[in-house]
Amino acid sequence: MTEDRILAAEYALGLLEGEELLAARAREASDTAFAADVGQWQDRLAPLADAIHPRLPRAEVWQRIEAQLSSNGGTANIVALQRSLRRWQWAGGLSAAAALILAFLALPQMLGSSEPAQGIAQGPTADQPILAANMPIEGTPLRLDFTYLPGEDSLLVGAVGLTADGVHDHEIWFVPPKGDLVSLGIVTPGKIVAHSVPNAVARALHDGSQLVLTREPLGGKPAGADAGPVVAEARFTTI
Amino acid sequence: MNPASVDARNRLIAAMRRLAQGERAALEEVYRATSAKLFGICYRILGDEKEAEDALQDVYLTLWRRADRYDPRRASPIAWLATFARNRAIDRLRTGKVRRGTVAEDEATQLADEAPLADAILIDAEREARVHTCLQSLDDAPRVAIRTAFFEGRTYTELAESMEVPLGTMKSWIRRGLAKLKTCMEAGE
Repeated sequence: MTEDRILAAEYALGLLEGEELLAARAREASDTAFAADVGQWQDRLAPLADAIHPRLPRAEVWQRIEAQLSSNGGTANIVALQRSLRRWQWAGGLSAAAALILAFLALPQMLGSSEPAQGIAQGPTADQPILAANMPIEGTPLRLDFTYLPGEDSLLVGAVGLTADGVHDHEIWFVPPKGDLVSLGIVTPGKIVAHSVPNAVARALHDGSQLVLTREPLGGKPAGADAGPVVAEARFTTI
Repeated sequence: MNPASVDARNRLIAAMRRLAQGERAALEEVYRATSAKLFGICYRILGDEKEAEDALQDVYLTLWRRADRYDPRRASPIAWLATFARNRAIDRLRTGKVRRGTVAEDEATQLADEAPLADAILIDAEREARVHTCLQSLDDAPRVAIRTAFFEGRTYTELAESMEVPLGTMKSWIRRGLAKLKTCMEAGE
């Protein structure tokens, strides 16, 4: 066997440690031929595990896993959503985070000069509570702020401190428990804008409801086209 | 494979697919079908009940996040999961946070030449896999060393110490053994 093939076998078997192990890991991540060799060795050796006695874990272990899933429910759902969106997403060379930074260049002078929104924020009278959500923009100190005012069927979208890149728009989507995502409009960088909320969405919104942001061509997702990649997400909480 | 195990395997593949699509109920199904096998593996590698439980939890949570990495064309789901669990358990040993328990030491000696076990979900074409036969064809020293590395997650250094030979000797035993193993398995692939 060549040196490389030996290394792949040694790594698959788990013989390496320290720097050799780190180097092999890096190699696996960057060198597809090496990774394929490692995979082949793993597949060859895997049947040996049939000789290991099965052992029943305590019921508590599954309970712990379930508890973790619930506390990270959002993460898991966003992963699932990203997977389903990935199938019909736009081709784009840039990573989502990098593109978003390009799309929303920070304008520090605008921070703290949030426009008043009193005109819209008059006391909601419906029995639904006011909901708010923060959507952090990965890799930046920026965020989008969402406030849902049930009395107005309005969603205030605060994008203060963000500016357009002239190439992309970002579209806000409500994630219903079942069925297709519902567009809640396009982010207006640098402003707080009231978006009207369709009745079906208004009825479904509650503490924990999820929003995602996708990157789209100017004007938002074209009819009939696939949605762009999910670049950020948020959940509502009652305020 | 008998029809019952074909059925079990197909159910597991279907559950893995649903898992990759983010269906949470599928994780429980995969857990019910495979946790005893994977816990056995974690326990064998780590030699400690508590560490093995932590490893098992980590295995399924990671699986939940990365289920789309499983490729049904490459390996049977149970073989893939077994490799995954073994790798995660070994990672725990290598990060140095976990000291290998001593419980498994005795079992290790008994297990040295044990035949594969029959078990509902584990019964698989792989039980007849060539690796068992090929491993038997190696000389004693490299065979024991490779088995110990596989079942206990030992490094070259640890193997050399426990078998009381210089590191260089251990490396050449294992490398020659792996080369022979590869030739033998390729003859049957």
